[in-house]
Amino acid sequence: MSRNDSLETMNSVSPFWNGLFNILFTIYSIVCIVPLLLVVGVSFSDEKSIITGGYNFIPKVFSLEAYKWVFKSGDTIVRAYGLSIMITIVGTLCSVAIISMFSYVISRKDFKYRNVFSFIVFFTMILNGGMVPWYKVYTNLLHINNTLLAYIVPSLVNAWYVMIMRTFFQTNVPDSIIESARIDGAGEFRTFLKIVMPLAKPGLATIALFQTLGFWNEWYLPLMLIEDSKLYNLQYILYKTLNAIQYLSQASNVSGGTAEILAKLPSETARMAMCVLAIGPIILAYPFFQKYFIKGLTVGAVKG
Amino acid sequence: MYKAKKLISLFLVIGMAITMVAGCGSKDNAATSSVAATSSVVATSSVAAETTKALDPVELKWYVIGNGQPKDMDAVLGKVNEWLQPKINATLKLNVFTWGDDYEQKMGAKVASGEEYDIAFTANWALNYLQNAPKGAFVDLTPMLDQYAPKTKALLGDKVIKGASINGKLFAIPTNKEMAHNWGFLINKDMAAKYAIDVTTIKKFDDIEPYLKIIKEKEGANGVEPFQSVVGESAYRLLDFEKMVDDNVPGAIYGDGRDTKVVNDFDTPEAKALFTTLNKWSKAGYIRKDADTITDFSSNRKAGKVFSAMASLKPGKDAEESVSSGINWVQVDLTPARATTREMTGSMQAISTSSKNPERALMFLELFNTEPELCNIINYGIEGTHYKKINDTTIEITQAGKDGYAPGTQWMFGNQFNTYLYSTEDPKKWEKFKTYNDSSVASPIIGFTFDTESVKTKVAALTGIKKQFMPGLETGKADPAVALPKFTEKLKAAGLDEVIVEMQKQVDTFLATK
Repeated sequence: MSRNDSLETMNSVSPFWNGLFNILFTIYSIVCIVPLLLVVGVSFSDEKSIITGGYNFIPKVFSLEAYKWVFKSGDTIVRAYGLSIMITIVGTLCSVAIISMFSYVISRKDFKYRNVFSFIVFFTMILNGGMVPWYKVYTNLLHINNTLLAYIVPSLVNAWYVMIMRTFFQTNVPDSIIESARIDGAGEFRTFLKIVMPLAKPGLATIALFQTLGFWNEWYLPLMLIEDSKLYNLQYILYKTLNAIQYLSQASNVSGGTAEILAKLPSETARMAMCVLAIGPIILAYPFFQKYFIKGLTVGAVKG
Repeated sequence: MYKAKKLISLFLVIGMAITMVAGCGSKDNAATSSVAATSSVVATSSVAAETTKALDPVELKWYVIGNGQPKDMDAVLGKVNEWLQPKINATLKLNVFTWGDDYEQKMGAKVASGEEYDIAFTANWALNYLQNAPKGAFVDLTPMLDQYAPKTKALLGDKVIKGASINGKLFAIPTNKEMAHNWGFLINKDMAAKYAIDVTTIKKFDDIEPYLKIIKEKEGANGVEPFQSVVGESAYRLLDFEKMVDDNVPGAIYGDGRDTKVVNDFDTPEAKALFTTLNKWSKAGYIRKDADTITDFSSNRKAGKVFSAMASLKPGKDAEESVSSGINWVQVDLTPARATTREMTGSMQAISTSSKNPERALMFLELFNTEPELCNIINYGIEGTHYKKINDTTIEITQAGKDGYAPGTQWMFGNQFNTYLYSTEDPKKWEKFKTYNDSSVASPIIGFTFDTESVKTKVAALTGIKKQFMPGLETGKADPAVALPKFTEKLKAAGLDEVIVEMQKQVDTFLATK
C-alpha cells in the first residue's frame, strides 16, 4: 500500500499544475467538440432558417429535410457509404497483413538481405517518382484506374508503418522466443501467426487504426484515379461538393450563371448531414482500438 | 515431416511458376491476336476508303465540366449513339466531372501523362486553354476546318475564330453563344418596387447613389447591403479594362478601344474616381464594413440581402439570375457590349493530341454545332422522358429530367442558338443574343494573349501586392488618397515598369503581324 502511494506521489505533478493541465485540456477538448456539435445542429436545421438567421447549436426550426435529401438522392450516397465501409475493411486487413509480414521478415537478424529490403523501403520515404510517373504506373501499367483496387493498392504499404513495425518486432519479440518456437517444431508461418503476432498486438492495433483512418478519409486517390461516378466513396463526394461550391462562389469567369449552378448543388444543411454520416462509423473505431493504442504509442520509446 | 513440407513448398513454387508462365503466354496470345485484328481492320478500311469511304467504328471519349455525371447518362448516350452511328459510325462516351479540382486534377493528369482521350472542354478558366494549347495538349484544328467542319467555320465567323486562336492557330472550337460582355447593375426588383425606385433613371454609376441612401435608411436595419462590392466581385470591373494577364496583375489597355497603350490600370484617373466614390459609399454605410474580407457574393444575394451589385451582363441575364436565385432581379446596362479574347475563349471543346481519331472527333463537333437534334439531346436528354415540348422551340423540364438528366450548361454544349428555350425564358432570347453579338465592338487586340514567361517572377510579385492593397480599395474601405500612392509605389518597386514595357512590346509585335 505504502509503496503504491510513494509511486503515485513520485509520478504525480503538484496540485497546481495538475489543475492547470486539467483546465487547459478541458478548454482544448471543448474547442474540438464544439464545432462538431455545431455541424450536428445545423444538419437538423431548416435550410431557410440558416440562410436568414445563421448557424445555431440548437436548431431554430427543427427539420429532417437534409437527411431525407441524403437518402432520397437515391443510391449515390448510400452506395458511396457502402463502398467506403468495404474499402476501409478490406484495405485495412490487406495492408496490415502485408506490412506486418514484410516488417517481420526484415526485423529478423538471421535474414541475410534484411538491410537491402529495409533500404528499398526507406528509399521511397526520401525519393519518389513524382505525380506523372505515379499516375502512369496505375493507369498504363497496372490498369487499376477506375476500379475499386485504385482505393486499396496505392495505400497497401506505407514505408513509415513498415519502419515502425520493424522496430516494434525487434524490441518486443525476443529472439529467444522465436528460437524456442523453432525448437518446439513450429515452422516459420506458425511462429509468425501464433507467437509473433499476438506479441505484436499493440503495434498492429496502432498501424491498423492509422490505416483505417487513412482508408476512410481517402479522397486523393479517387480524385486522380476514379472516373466512374458510381465508384466514388463518401469522402470524395463530400470533397468534390465542397470544392465545387468554393470554386463557383469565387470564380467570376465561369461562363454560365454560377448562381444557377450553385442552386443545384446540395444545400448547406445537406452537406452537414453528409458530414455527420461520414463521422459515424469511424468514431466507433476509436474505442475498439483504444486499449492497444495507448501501449502502441510507446513504440520506439525506450524499453525497460 | 520436414521432407513433406519441403515437397509441398516445392510444388507451390512450381505451381506459381507455371501460372506465371501461363499468364504471360495468354497475354502474348491476346496481344498478337489484337495486333492481327487491328492490322486486318486497317487493311479492310484502307480498301474500303478507296472504294466507298466507309469509316471504321470508333468510340469518342469526351470529358466536360459540370455538376457530375447525371444518373441517366447511359440512356441519353444510347439515344445519341442511335443518331450518331449511321452518320459518322462513331459512338460517344461523355463523362461529366465536377467543378473545381475534380475536373482540373483529372484532366491535368491526363494531359501530363498523355493518356488517350478525344475531346475535352477547355476555357480560360478551366483546363486552361491559354496554357495547355501552346504546350501541345490539343490538336491544331486550323488546317482541318475546311475539310471536316466547314459549316462550323462559317457559323462562328472570322471574328470569333481569330479571337479564339493562339498565334493564328485554332486549338479548340468555341461554343456559339453570346460573344461579348458588358457591365452594369443587377438590382433587386421587389425592393426597388417597394420604395418606388425607377431603375430606368440610372444611366451611369453615380446615378444609383440617392437610391442607396433610401435603402440604407429603410432596410439597413434588416442587414441589407445597399451596394454589394466584395473582394473580386467588385465595382472595379465596371471600368472594363482589357487586362493583359488577369484581374490580379496590373497592366491593361482601355476597354473602349481608344488606343493600344498599356497602362497601370489601378492608377488611372478613372480608377481613382471610382475608388473615391466607393470610399464615400463605404463611409456612408452603403457597402458593408467587412467587405474587404469577403469573397462569397452569392449567399447574401440568395438570401435577399443585397439591393444592388455589379455584374457581367448579357441579354436576359436578369431573368436567368432570377430563376436560379429565387430573387427577382432587373438589370441596368451601363457599358456598351464589347468582344474580347476572354469571351472567345470562355467555353470551347478541344481535341486531344493523344486522340487516335482527331478527324472523327472534329466531324462529331461539326454535327454537334450544326444539327439541332443532336445538340438538344445532349443538352436536355430524351423527349418525353426528361422534357416535354410545349411548342417547336419551347420545352419544360419534367421531374424525371430534373432528377435524371439536367446538365444545365447550355453555354458549354455546341450551338446555343439551336437549343430549346425554357417556358420561363424570353422567346426572343436568341434574336436578342444575335443583335447583341452583332452590336458588340471587337477589341483592337482580339486574339492576343500575353506570354508571361519572361517576367514570371515579377508578375508573381505584382500579384502579391495587388492582393494586399486592392481588397481595401475595391470595397471602399481604404481611402484612395492615402492607399493609392502607396500601392503604386510598391508596384513600381516590384518591377511594374519593366512588366508594362514587356506588355507593350508584345502588343506592338502582335499588332504588327496582324
